[in-house]
Amino acid sequence: MVGFIIRRLLWTIPVLLLVILMTFLMMRHIQGNPFRHSERAVSPEIQANLNRKFNLDKPWYVQYALYVKGVATFDLGPSLVLRNQSVNDIVKAHFPKSLELGFLAMVFAVVLGIPLGVIAALRPNSVFDYTAMFFSNVGFAVPSFLIATLLIYFFALKWGDVFGLPTSGWDTWQSKVLPVIALGLGPMAYFARLVRGTMLETLQQDYVRTAKAKGLRWRRVLTVHVLKNSLTPAVTAAGPLLGFLITGSFIIEYIFAIPGIGKYYITAVSARDYSVVMGLTVLLSVIVVLANMVVDILYGVLDPRTREART
Amino acid sequence: MALLEVDNLQTHFFTREGVVRAVDGVSFTVEPGKTLGIVGESGCGKSVTALSIMSLLPQPPAKIVGGSVRFEGFDLAKLSERDLEDVRGNEIAMIFQDPMTSLNPTLKIGTQIMETMQRHLGLDRKQAKQRAIELLEEVHIPGAADRLNDYPHRFSGGMRQRVMIAIAISCNPKLLIADEPTTALDVTVQAGILDLLEELQEEYEMAMILITHDMGVVAEAADDIVVMYAGQIVEQAASLELFDHPEHPYTEALLGALPQIEGEGIREGRLTAIPGRPPDLADPPPACRFAPRCPFSDREDSCAKEPPELRQIRSGHWVRSAHPASERTREPAVASK
Amino acid sequence: MVVSPQAQRMRSPDPAHSGDIDVAGAGMPIRQSSLWRDARRRYMRNKGAVVAGAFFLGLVAFCIFVPIFSPYDPDKVDFSQAYLSPSLAHPFGTDQFGRDLLTRVALGGRISIAIGFAATLAILVIGLTYGSISGFVGGWLDNAMMRFLDALYGLPYLPFAIITLAIVGTVNFWTMVIALSIASWFTSARIVRGQIITLKENDYVRAATAVGARWYRVLARHLVPNTLGVLIIAIFLELPGVILGEAFLSFIGLGINPPDASWGSMAQEGRQVYRTHTNVILIPSLAIAILVLSANFIADGLRDALDPRTKET
Repeated sequence: MVGFIIRRLLWTIPVLLLVILMTFLMMRHIQGNPFRHSERAVSPEIQANLNRKFNLDKPWYVQYALYVKGVATFDLGPSLVLRNQSVNDIVKAHFPKSLELGFLAMVFAVVLGIPLGVIAALRPNSVFDYTAMFFSNVGFAVPSFLIATLLIYFFALKWGDVFGLPTSGWDTWQSKVLPVIALGLGPMAYFARLVRGTMLETLQQDYVRTAKAKGLRWRRVLTVHVLKNSLTPAVTAAGPLLGFLITGSFIIEYIFAIPGIGKYYITAVSARDYSVVMGLTVLLSVIVVLANMVVDILYGVLDPRTREART
Repeated sequence: MALLEVDNLQTHFFTREGVVRAVDGVSFTVEPGKTLGIVGESGCGKSVTALSIMSLLPQPPAKIVGGSVRFEGFDLAKLSERDLEDVRGNEIAMIFQDPMTSLNPTLKIGTQIMETMQRHLGLDRKQAKQRAIELLEEVHIPGAADRLNDYPHRFSGGMRQRVMIAIAISCNPKLLIADEPTTALDVTVQAGILDLLEELQEEYEMAMILITHDMGVVAEAADDIVVMYAGQIVEQAASLELFDHPEHPYTEALLGALPQIEGEGIREGRLTAIPGRPPDLADPPPACRFAPRCPFSDREDSCAKEPPELRQIRSGHWVRSAHPASERTREPAVASK
Repeated sequence: MVVSPQAQRMRSPDPAHSGDIDVAGAGMPIRQSSLWRDARRRYMRNKGAVVAGAFFLGLVAFCIFVPIFSPYDPDKVDFSQAYLSPSLAHPFGTDQFGRDLLTRVALGGRISIAIGFAATLAILVIGLTYGSISGFVGGWLDNAMMRFLDALYGLPYLPFAIITLAIVGTVNFWTMVIALSIASWFTSARIVRGQIITLKENDYVRAATAVGARWYRVLARHLVPNTLGVLIIAIFLELPGVILGEAFLSFIGLGINPPDASWGSMAQEGRQVYRTHTNVILIPSLAIAILVLSANFIADGLRDALDPRTKET
C-alpha cells in the first residue's frame, strides 16, 4: 500500500518535467515581443539588454534548466511586462481567490450532486428520478456562461430586491453565491448522473444479492456494500473535473469580474508576458497533475484490485 | 413436521413484453436433515423457486402471486422485509452459482464472513474473528488466520465457493439452499465441494436443497428429487426410485443424456440430446408444456389439449405426464422432431 | 423476439401444434436479428434520443437554409434599426449594428457547427491513429505513449488552447480547429487504445490470426468494425466539448474576428447589454445549449442502442 503511494508519487516527477518542457517550448514559439509596449520599435541595444537581463539570449535548454531550478525553489521568475512584480507576487495576490472559487464550487457539486444521484438510483423511474435526471442533463449541457447570465438576470436583476446578490467582486459571502453556483452546477449534474448510473449497476451485482441473502440489515447493505463500490467512479471523475473547474473559472471570473488568475492569464497572453504565462500554466499544470495523482491513490485505497497490477 | 413446505408457489415476472410465468404451481417439502435435489435445464424456474423461498427477487418486476412457503410453520411469502432479514443467513442460508461475482471484491474475506455472525449471533469482533478462522478451517482453507485479511481476487474459484459455504453455515442454519454450487467450477473441484457440503450437512444437521442441471451431481447427494420443466414440476420421487424407474419422458431423456462409463444395464450407443428448446415462459404451450419436444406425444392425443395433472403413479412417486413409462403401450410416436 | 399470442395464432392456426410447424411461437426459441437493425430499433425506442436527434438535425438545417432565404444582408450596418425587440420582421430582434439576429444566428451557427465537426473529426483522426498504434503494437511503445499522454493530461484545456492560438498568431476557422483539437484529442486516443487492446485479446481475433490472417486484415476486418460503434458515440461526446470550447474562447475575446461571427462571439457582443437587451446574448447561448444538449442525448441513446448489455430496468 505504501509502496503503491510512493510509486505514484515518483511517477509525477517526470510528468511534471515533461509538462514544463512542453509549455516552455510552446511559449518560445509565440510570436511577439514582450518588451513592446507601444507601436514604437524598441531600440536594438535596449532589446539586447533586456534579453540579457531576463536570460532570453541563452540557448533554450539552458533557459529550461534555469527555469526548472526556479520552479523547484518556488521561484517563478519576474514578470516581463510589469517590471516591479514577480510572477510569485501576482500568483499570491490573485490565485487564492480562484482557488476558493474552485473549491467552493466542488463542494457544492459534491454535497448536492452525490446524494441526488443516490436517491435517484434508489427510486428508479420515479417522478423524483425523472426530474432529477432532467435537470442534471440540462445543467450538464448548458454552457456555464449562459447559466451565469441567467443567474445574474434572475437573482440580481429581476428579483434583486428579494435576494440582493451582488454580481461582481469577491468580498462578501453574498458575492460568492452566484459564481459558485454558476461554476458548480455543471459538475453537480455530472456527479448526479454518474452516481445514479453506477449505483443502478452496483445494485444488480451478485455480491449485493449475497449480502441480502446473509440477512444483513438493508442499511448496512447499502452503506457498506453498495455505496462504497458506487462512489469510486465519482472519485475518479473528480480528477478531470478539476480541469473543467479551471477552464470554467476563467469564464466565471470574467463574467463576475472576480480578480482571480483567470482574467490575468488572458491579459498576460495578449501582452506576451512569457514568464507570467509560463508561471501560471505551470502552476495550473502542477495542480492538475497532483490532483490526478491524489485521485489515483484514492482509487487504490477504495478498490484493492488496482493496487496489485500496475502493468 | 416438515421443515419447509412449499405449496403451489407461483412467481411471475411482469415485464414490458408480457408476464413471464417463471414458477407456475410448484409444491414440495423438505424434511429436517434431508437433501432435496431440484433438477432441470436452464430457464426451467429452479433458481427462481429458490430465490422465491428467500424472497430475494427484485420486487418489480418479480412477484410471488400465489401459494405459500411455510418454514417451521411461518409463511415466508407473507413476512415483512425486516422479519425476512432475521431469517436469511440465520435460519435459511443460500450459496450461489458464480463464486467469482458473489463476493464483494472490495471487502476483505474476514469482514464478509464476520458480518453475518455479528448481525445474527451478536458476537463481538474478537469472537467473530475467532469463529471465522474456525469456519475457514472447516471448509479446508489452509492458513486460515492469514487468509482473513485477503481480498476475494486472491482466491481461486473453488476456494471462493468454500468461503461462500463458510459464510452460509456460520450461523448454523437449519436449511441450506445451494443454487448450482458447482456449475461454474472445474470437474475436479466439483467433487470436493459436493463432499464438503455432505460433510457439513451431517455435522450441522442441516437440511439442504441442491439445485442443478446435472443429474450426476444429484444422484450422489440427494435423498429426494424434483424434476422441473418450464416452471412446473414434472416428476417427483426419492432419488433411488427416480433413477431406477424414471417415468416422465423428460426425465428419461435427461438420464439418457448422461454418459455412462461402466455399470449394469449400461446403455450402448449415442447419447441422446433432447431436440428443440424450452418454451418461452411468457407464452407457454397451453396444455402439456413438454409436448412439442416429447417423443411420445402426437397430434391426436390429449397432450396438446389438456394440461396433465401431477398424479401419484406409485407410492411416493409423482409424475405429470400423459405418457409415463409404466403406462406406455407403444414405441415413440415420432422418432425425432 | 417474443411473438405475441395474437401473432402466434395468426401464423399457426392450431396453437397446440405450433411445435410441428417451423414457426416462431410457443415452444420455439427466440429469433436473432442483426446487430445494426437491433441497434436502430433500440435507438428509436428511446424517445429522448429521437427527440434530441430531431432537434439536432433541425438546428443544422436551420443554420444551412435560413441565410439562403433570408431577405436581410448580415453585414449591412444600419444604426436606425439597432437593438430592436423580437417582432414579426425580426423574429430574434437586431443587434447593436441593426443586423437581423435570426440571420446572424444561423450564420454564426454555420461556423460554430462547422468548427465543431471539423475539430471533432480531427480529434478522432488523431486519437484513432495514436490509440491504434499504441494499442496494437503494445509493449514498451504503448507504455511510453501512454506515459506521454498522462503528461499531456496535465496541461489544462483552456490555457493549452489559448497558447496554441497565440503560437499560431491569427485566429481564423482553421487555427481554431487546430487549437481545439490539439487540446482535446487525449481522451479519444485512450478510448481507442482501450478498445483495440480489449479486441486484441478477444478470442475471435486470436482465431483469425491462428488461421494465418495478416495483421492488416485482422485490423481492417475485425478490430475496426467493432471500434466503429465506439467511434460514432465518441463523435457525439466530443462535439459538445469542442463547441463549448470555441464558445468559451470567443466569449473571452480570443475567438473568431468580426465580421465573421460564431455563437460564442455573438454572445460576447451581447454581454454588455444583457440588462436591457437580453436577446442578444440569450439567443446564441440557447442555440449552443440546444446543440450540446441534443448531442449528449444522442450520445446516450447511441450508447444504449449499441451496447446490448446495459440495464433493462
